Amino acid sequence: MKRILPLVIILAVLGIALGAGWYLTRPATPPTPPTPAPTVANATVKPNVPAPTPVNVAQAGAEPPHSIGPADAPVTLEEFGDFQCPPCGLLYPVLKDMEKEFGSRLRVIFREYPLVPTHPHALSAARSAEAAGMQGKFWEMHDMLFTNQRTWHASFDARPIFDDYAVKIGLDLEKFKRDLNGSVVEQRIFLDGKRAHALGVSGTPTVFMNGREIPFESLPPEKLRPIIQAEIDARR
Amino acid sequence: MKATKLYIAMALVALAGLADAIYLTVQHVTGQSVRCTVISGCSEVLSSPYSSFNGIPLALIGAAAYFAVFSLATLAAFGYPLVGKLLPILVGLMFLTTLWLIYLQAIVIGHFCQFCLLSAAVTTILTGLVLFVSRSRKAA
Repeated sequence: MKRILPLVIILAVLGIALGAGWYLTRPATPPTPPTPAPTVANATVKPNVPAPTPVNVAQAGAEPPHSIGPADAPVTLEEFGDFQCPPCGLLYPVLKDMEKEFGSRLRVIFREYPLVPTHPHALSAARSAEAAGMQGKFWEMHDMLFTNQRTWHASFDARPIFDDYAVKIGLDLEKFKRDLNGSVVEQRIFLDGKRAHALGVSGTPTVFMNGREIPFESLPPEKLRPIIQAEIDARR
Repeated sequence: MKATKLYIAMALVALAGLADAIYLTVQHVTGQSVRCTVISGCSEVLSSPYSSFNGIPLALIGAAAYFAVFSLATLAAFGYPLVGKLLPILVGLMFLTTLWLIYLQAIVIGHFCQFCLLSAAVTTILTGLVLFVSRSRKAA
């Protein structure tokens, strides 16, 4: 018995460790505002492109999505991001470079996936970006938030900083403040979160290329570039 | 102190390291950024290119190493022969890796991560315990 006991202890610890790892890597739950509503057709995943997870129209995400690049571009990158997540901040200049390099052959979509409570300002940042979007300046706020991420990341109250950004990019501040807590902004974040769940997103940044998830390890520019190019070549 | 008690202490300390490494692995795998509660710099360290080795999260390698130390120390505590000789080799390698990681944080990245420092402390304690075991064996 004494010879077996240590093996039992070791196996028990292994089981607990693996179990904890499995439990903690299950898909996370983003904030869910109370009133879900189905939306129209999925504009992101092309109908003839196989997606890893079936997504019905109810999980299409916020419509229209925030996108850069032509809708008929051969490659669509759909990012689920959190403005307070440092790896998302690192991915930001990479995607900017990809947009420049591939031009009209690439479409980039950004979807909200604020990780709360891991990132205390993430939801506020997502609301700010969506509120800016209601004045046609989503990408300006998106750029402002990522460019200055280190400035507001550790602040106690980021709200006044976001208001400053709103002024800097030329938003109507009063409307911006009204929209921040409005139902449209809330609904868009909720719908993006619902789509994230449907696609099995569990963290940020998660990027899909034409409906297929790109592994996190492949997001550095030297790896992402040939992946995009290969997809473009395959669709010629 | 008897070698058996030292092995039990090693197993318990290795469990603390295992828990820390599992936490960091989970954060890495899920793509979440880790928030430091004591010092700032976790995000910079854990999202740096040094946080993985050939695509394998460094934290996962650490978890495997702590589990190996736990297993060997447990077996040694129960009197299994030879396993006690593997411990100094494994812990020695872990300590050298720890020194390298502290150098990376201090000099290359310029930020420290509290969870990585905790792991470094655990490995240092394990190294001390291994030395104590060697001394108690020689004394015996």
